[in-house]
Amino acid sequence: MTVIDAQGLVKRYRTGGQTLYALAGIDFALEAGEFVSIMGPSGSGKTTLLNILGLLDTPTEGTVLLEGQDVTGLGDSKRTALRKRTIGFVFQHFYLLPTLTAVENVEVPLLLDSDPQVKKRARTLLERLGLGERLDHKPDELSGGQKQRVAIARSLINSPKVVLADEPTGNLDSETGRQILDEFRRIADEDDVAIVAVTHDDLVNEYVDRTVHLVDGTIGRERKNGG
Amino acid sequence: MAGRFFPAALMARRNLTRTKMRSLLASLGIVIGVVAIASLGMFGVALQYSFTQNLGNVGNQLTVYPNSGENVTELTERDIRTIRREASPTATVSPVKTRAEPVSYNREDAVRKTIYGIENPGELYEAKEGRVSPFRSGALVGSSVAEAHDLHPGSQITINGTSVRIRAVLEEGDAFSSTNPDNRVIVPATSFSQSGYSEAYVIESTGTQANETAMGIRDSLNDREQRVFVRELGSLVDTIEEQFQIINTVLAGIASISLLVAGISILNVMLMSTVERREEIGVLRAVGYQKRDVLKVMLMEATLLGFLGGIAGVILSLGAGLAINHYAVGDAMAVFRLPNAWYVGAAFAFGVLTSIVSGLYPAWKAASEEPVDALRG
Ligand SMILES: Nc1ncnc2c1ncn2[C@@H]1O[C@H](COP(=O)(O)OP(=O)(O)OP(=O)(O)O)[C@@H](O)[C@H]1O
Ligand SMILES: [Mg+2]
Repeated sequence: MTVIDAQGLVKRYRTGGQTLYALAGIDFALEAGEFVSIMGPSGSGKTTLLNILGLLDTPTEGTVLLEGQDVTGLGDSKRTALRKRTIGFVFQHFYLLPTLTAVENVEVPLLLDSDPQVKKRARTLLERLGLGERLDHKPDELSGGQKQRVAIARSLINSPKVVLADEPTGNLDSETGRQILDEFRRIADEDDVAIVAVTHDDLVNEYVDRTVHLVDGTIGRERKNGG
Repeated sequence: MAGRFFPAALMARRNLTRTKMRSLLASLGIVIGVVAIASLGMFGVALQYSFTQNLGNVGNQLTVYPNSGENVTELTERDIRTIRREASPTATVSPVKTRAEPVSYNREDAVRKTIYGIENPGELYEAKEGRVSPFRSGALVGSSVAEAHDLHPGSQITINGTSVRIRAVLEEGDAFSSTNPDNRVIVPATSFSQSGYSEAYVIESTGTQANETAMGIRDSLNDREQRVFVRELGSLVDTIEEQFQIINTVLAGIASISLLVAGISILNVMLMSTVERREEIGVLRAVGYQKRDVLKVMLMEATLLGFLGGIAGVILSLGAGLAINHYAVGDAMAVFRLPNAWYVGAAFAFGVLTSIVSGLYPAWKAASEEPVDALRG
């Protein structure tokens, strides 16, 4: 099943009389359970693409279909509601709330719903990610890898269709990075969640189904991993 | 626990404890503002209360006196009859004669003093020592006079060379009343050779009745020329109470300046906080928080600051109120009177309101930031 189907994406920025193409016509489709990496030099438009796929940003031209629904022209409030329902985010700098414990951080996306089931689900997710012993620790009591696992648990709390990760291993050593990538692989396989990871890290390519290369806002050669 | 029912409060509370010192200082402003408003308000109330205590029950008294500007120097028997006719049947009408005489107490040098001649002082005064009526001879003295010269019933004073026996020392009167006898020496009206009266007191049962009588007297005696003045203490009291109201309002106004300052400091703290937490707020928006959700979390912080400061302020104000009432009214428990509750409640409400209003702009700023911009750093 195609979760995201983006056609002819263009993102233009006008700065000081100059026009800059962050994305210059990109087609990108994502199947359920697929783990895809996006690579490319700095400034090639990776974050821009990820933000548009995650409904954080809107393209200047082109269309985005989310589960078959056209979401291109939606306003902020509708896009926010869709993000909450179908998308999970993982960031390079983890971006956990320093005042909340691990469990509470995982609950954050659904915290305002006051649903008593959420806390249980947050615990289960953290236990699955090997943090059963660290449930009530604050972020500054956790290692980088542990923080990133809390962030992954947070991205899964709403049972998303897509998880979007911008440099998820960028702040981790290669051993910890492998553990995180293992988790992503498992989530894609077991939960049928589509995962897109922006990365500079060649390590990632051992785990993904395919890699998309961006150069100056266009898609370069695409490499499929065997299988 | 509270987090379960009110998740925004959980986040807000944790955020405030993140920068404890800063939050404390910000709500200290609210504390000071609330204490200032509440205690100045209570101070005004205490002033007013102690004033009315001194004033006593004077709203139902009238004093009629001749208008010397129109060459009317005294009230005639006819005037007194008119006054009696205008007053209600239950009213006390007491005409008074006065003249200045040399008076000496205890063989000291004589000093000139106004002597009051009243026919039936029993209608106006009660005795502290001795008896007021029957009053055919001798003199009555007010408590201040008695105290100053150590006079008691049976003591002798000399009025215009004649020795006079003190019959009674009178009970203290209300400070602002024109019948107040405290500094007076009173003799029977019959000992006066003049026939006219220098003033007349009318005491009605109610203030409204007094007001009607005053108008009746003016109508009858002043129809061709302004022969007499009628002084109504009731309207005087109203005027004074109005003045107190103005003073109270001005005091509260001055006090609210301190709340304005407190509001600015909360605005500052919240603005700093939104700048520091830009990425965090971006993440909240990314994971599905609507603008109004962010607004809610931020406003909750401001509200909590206001509540904290407000509650501390109310507690301190009660302490201040106890002290104020102890010194101004002489009864610390007078702080639990209704107008005080009103001032304390209003101060608390203003404190919380200031806090919320000051939080509006930072909260709006945080909520309207594009998450893409916030997350780019
Ligand atoms: N708001 C903006 N205004 C102007 N230009 C922008 C804006 N956002 C992004 N750009 C430009 O768009 C281009 C693509 O940016 P993007 O952040 O997608 O790059 P990236 O591939 O993620 O780079 P990096 O690997 O350094 O993160 C860059 O040249 C960037 O300067
Ligand atoms: Mg980037």
